[in-house]
Amino acid sequence: MPIDFPGEEWTAAYQNAINTSAEYKEAGKDWTHGAIAFVVPKDPVVGLEEDTAFILELHQGECRKAWISTVDEAKQQPFCLTGSYSQWKAVMRKELDPIKGMMQGKLKLKGNLPIIVRFVKAAQVLVELTGSIDTKFLDE
Amino acid sequence: MRYDADLNFVYAHTPKVAFGVNVVADLGTYAGEMGLSKAVVITDSFLAEKTDLLDRVKQTLGPLLAGVFTGVIPDPTAASMDAGAVYAGEQGADSLISLGGGSAIDTAKGIAVVLKEGGKILDHEGYHALEGPQTPHIAIPTTAGTGSEMTMVTVIKDPERKQKTFIGSFHLHPNLAILDPTLLTGLPPKLTAATGMDAMSHAVECQISSLGQPVSDAYGIEAIRIITNYLPRCLEKPDDLLARGRMQIAANMAGTAFSNAMCSLNHAMAHTLGARHGVHHGTANAILLPHTMRYFMDVSAVEFARVAVAMGIDTSGMSAEEAGNKAADQMEQFVEAIGLTDRLGDYGVTEDALAGLADVAMTDGTIIYSPKPVFEPQDIVEILRKVL
Repeated sequence: MPIDFPGEEWTAAYQNAINTSAEYKEAGKDWTHGAIAFVVPKDPVVGLEEDTAFILELHQGECRKAWISTVDEAKQQPFCLTGSYSQWKAVMRKELDPIKGMMQGKLKLKGNLPIIVRFVKAAQVLVELTGSIDTKFLDE
Repeated sequence: MRYDADLNFVYAHTPKVAFGVNVVADLGTYAGEMGLSKAVVITDSFLAEKTDLLDRVKQTLGPLLAGVFTGVIPDPTAASMDAGAVYAGEQGADSLISLGGGSAIDTAKGIAVVLKEGGKILDHEGYHALEGPQTPHIAIPTTAGTGSEMTMVTVIKDPERKQKTFIGSFHLHPNLAILDPTLLTGLPPKLTAATGMDAMSHAVECQISSLGQPVSDAYGIEAIRIITNYLPRCLEKPDDLLARGRMQIAANMAGTAFSNAMCSLNHAMAHTLGARHGVHHGTANAILLPHTMRYFMDVSAVEFARVAVAMGIDTSGMSAEEAGNKAADQMEQFVEAIGLTDRLGDYGVTEDALAGLADVAMTDGTIIYSPKPVFEPQDIVEILRKVL
């Protein structure tokens, strides 16, 4: 059954997808740079009434913890990516390359870019794994 | 085909540009029109003490001048930007005027952020993380190369991590660029050549970047044509205002192009060589460029064939690969002809250092826009070895 994005259940499914991916285990095995947070600003038009954020605590190819957080907590993480609901949807559907989206200002990155670049392969796998979750988008 | 029906891009055409002989004399008028009242000039001690350029700026600013920060250093560090922000804050600055090459302009961008947002510059690392307009900034380049007056990025050397990092945002564009050819006539030959080749590298790398689009292609190709024709002329006759002006325009166009399309592997290596061994950014780009072109020939021959035409090569009857290889060969000859014959060994780089340099280049923000993924550090080692 499709899972609403964003939400607790979706975040748990994402953690599970990461931790069962041999590809991510390999690509992210040297990641020791802390958590990555994702922020989705409220968008009443698509049915998202509040700013929403979730955090992945990633470490050496594993997602140790994943949880829905406040925006403030998200912004305190070493890396924080912010994008509108429609942009995240485009990323998850592979209609928007996240690197391209970042350069075009559609996704906003707070954090050290060289570290992200070093792990670009791991980042690609993380994005691809969102596609493995049976997701229900709010505007559909 | 490089572009398909799903082509999509965001193109920033900023800032306003004022070009012309002695147009720097209008700086005070422009600043007044922008409502600025306390401007701090950001420059380096050489320009301030050994040239008349700062005096010309002071004269036109008159009472709008609030202070002069002369702490700009080559390959600006976070510490130099933070120090400039402290100084500008003490003067009550409401605006910044950068006078110098890319280092001065990038330093001013960093100061603009700290003045507006507070904290230190590395607190603001990221892409498009700045949420609003920053401190107003007028850029007056005194070299024709970096194109930094047109870009949304500031490059920051981080001595602790021994690499360069970036802050990028549409809010980092200066608000006005003043291009006056008379500011360039005192530029020494080697710096003229190196900065000009920085612009050439921007223009060529835009042609193959994965973020490229037809607008940046057009700007880049015209910049290549101008640089090919006018950079040698600047070296032969340094006070040729026509040639100097054309080079300013070319660097500006290439800057606009790469601010949108981004650079790729060549700049990743040049940033690393600058951060680790102090190799001048333009020189590094110049000596590496022909080899980088050959490395990407298997995926970008069509684009390099266009570069060949822009360089004046008669490509009739040639395949794309033949024309592309001809462009790489001619680029190598061009670099030598303008006097950039440096080798990495001249800067103390040894064979043993190449693997470490490759590892750092693999983490440079520009590498991800390469026309094919560069996943193997050994590929970079082999390119670096060619200029060792």
